[in-house]
Amino acid sequence: MFNIITTNLWRRPARTVFTAAGIAVGVAMVVALLSFTSGLQKTAAGFVHLGGSGLGVFQANVSEPTTSLLPTALVGRLRALPQVTRATPLLLVVEAIKREPAAIVFGAEPSGFFTRSLVIVEGTRGASGTQAALVGDRLAAQLHVHAGGHIAIKGHSYPVAGVYHSGIYFEDAGAVLPLAVAQAIAGHPGEETDIVVDLAAGVRASAAGAQIERAVPGTRVITDPEQALRVGANATLISQAILVIVVIALIVGGLSVANTMAMSVMERRSELGLLSTVGWSPLRVAILIFGEGVGVSLIGAAGGLLLGVVGGRLLVDALGVSSYVSPSITAWGLGRGLLIGVAIGMLGGIYPAWRVTRMTPLRALAGT
Amino acid sequence: MSPTAGPGVVLEAVSKRFGTITALRDVSLRAAPGEAIAITGRSGSGKSTLLALIGGLDQPDTGSILIDGRAVWTERHDARARRELVGFVFQRHLLLETLSARANVEVPLIGAGMHHHARRETALRLLEDVGLADRAEHIPAALSGGERQRVAIARALANEPRLLLADEPTGALDTATSETVLDLIFQLRDRRGMTLVIVSYDEAVSVRADRTVNLIDGALVSTTPA
Repeated sequence: MFNIITTNLWRRPARTVFTAAGIAVGVAMVVALLSFTSGLQKTAAGFVHLGGSGLGVFQANVSEPTTSLLPTALVGRLRALPQVTRATPLLLVVEAIKREPAAIVFGAEPSGFFTRSLVIVEGTRGASGTQAALVGDRLAAQLHVHAGGHIAIKGHSYPVAGVYHSGIYFEDAGAVLPLAVAQAIAGHPGEETDIVVDLAAGVRASAAGAQIERAVPGTRVITDPEQALRVGANATLISQAILVIVVIALIVGGLSVANTMAMSVMERRSELGLLSTVGWSPLRVAILIFGEGVGVSLIGAAGGLLLGVVGGRLLVDALGVSSYVSPSITAWGLGRGLLIGVAIGMLGGIYPAWRVTRMTPLRALAGT
Repeated sequence: MSPTAGPGVVLEAVSKRFGTITALRDVSLRAAPGEAIAITGRSGSGKSTLLALIGGLDQPDTGSILIDGRAVWTERHDARARRELVGFVFQRHLLLETLSARANVEVPLIGAGMHHHARRETALRLLEDVGLADRAEHIPAALSGGERQRVAIARALANEPRLLLADEPTGALDTATSETVLDLIFQLRDRRGMTLVIVSYDEAVSVRADRTVNLIDGALVSTTPA
């Protein structure tokens, strides 16, 4: 049976290849988006644990965590909570560096644990009270900036006191300014995006998060990357886009396979009639047609997986987020792509297979 | 292989219409176990329809067809009955063009659920029986017309049928090749004891058959013993 299926698929190679190509495009889109969201999740993990913190406190009910704004006065209230050992405010300023728009500028207290946790690889942390910037090693390499040089942020030039490395991708692809300076250039004096918090030993992040949200109404505590993605409107949009693309891929791919296999059944009526004549049951003939549908889908899915891996990188580049989102190919992501490919074949194979079971051998042999 | 007793075939008042065309009208026919019957008649006289109904490829509108005294062509079981009882040979050999001769002979055995190795052995033995052992791995396009028909005969014999139905098996062959193919069919029939119903214009078929029946416009008009 397998031998017959494979030889039949290559009987009309152009048709098989074109059908498989259509399926491949659908599968590739799904795989690319899945690898993108997986990469986004990794980025979100870094976002949650900025400066090595246990959790982040954001404004509740915002479309995107980066649009959150909290009053600086809140920091003192959080520090007073028994679960909290350290808390420091952060202001995230996006699109502040013209030459590298994806870079994030972090406004942070120079004495806060976020700034203190940065490992200085070149220069110094800078003297307190100055307006000097610290630049992540990735950004420094991209902009060819060194300690002692200058960096343009929001149209102003700031001296670079040092270059740091934190190990968190988009911290290293960004820069740090003193909080007050960042608040001034962002136009948000006395406000920050979030407050990163370190918890006391033995305190579970999820439990502490719920307690903080109760103690400080109007805040949203994010403790894990998936939560960060759920909060973000963009991530929700991507998840919904994936669902839409999966459904479209199933419908378009399924119709494509159904059309190909229906044409194949029409052309091969005599042959299928012969199989009935030599004693193949209608079910077995239907399985043959169904198997060919699944076979062409598997070819498409295999191509789609390869295309999706490449497409993930292209998607990140096209969205201009390559500096802080790196597509992440996971076995489960590829597995889902493969499953969608097989599902396309199964959906598309049902009608032609059913049609075969309705043919009488005599009429099929006569090709009518 | 030891001969197997072919089944008796009984048709009682069989009629078949296709739309407004009457293909068969009130045909009654009996074939004794192991008998070879030639069916002759002009084009459109209903010969092929008669053969198809005997082999369960379609159902008669009226009348009955009994194989070994049983109505085996019920919709539910006809594939299995065809597999276990009947072998077909057609004028067009109807080989699968992308498969080798051996793989073509294996096709009915796939339907029977036979294991891969046993299938292969059976197919090779049958190809040897029809004199094509050295052509087993050739695809149909690489075979002559006579060789293709011999592959088709080997395929028809794959499930060891007791009833062999041949629809103008020499219709597309030259005279010399026709003789070879007919020799083969009748030798195999003698060796295996199959009941044979063969449709043909060819006089040589009537000469070899035990009996010849003639159809005109769907009606059986004469029976000629050999």
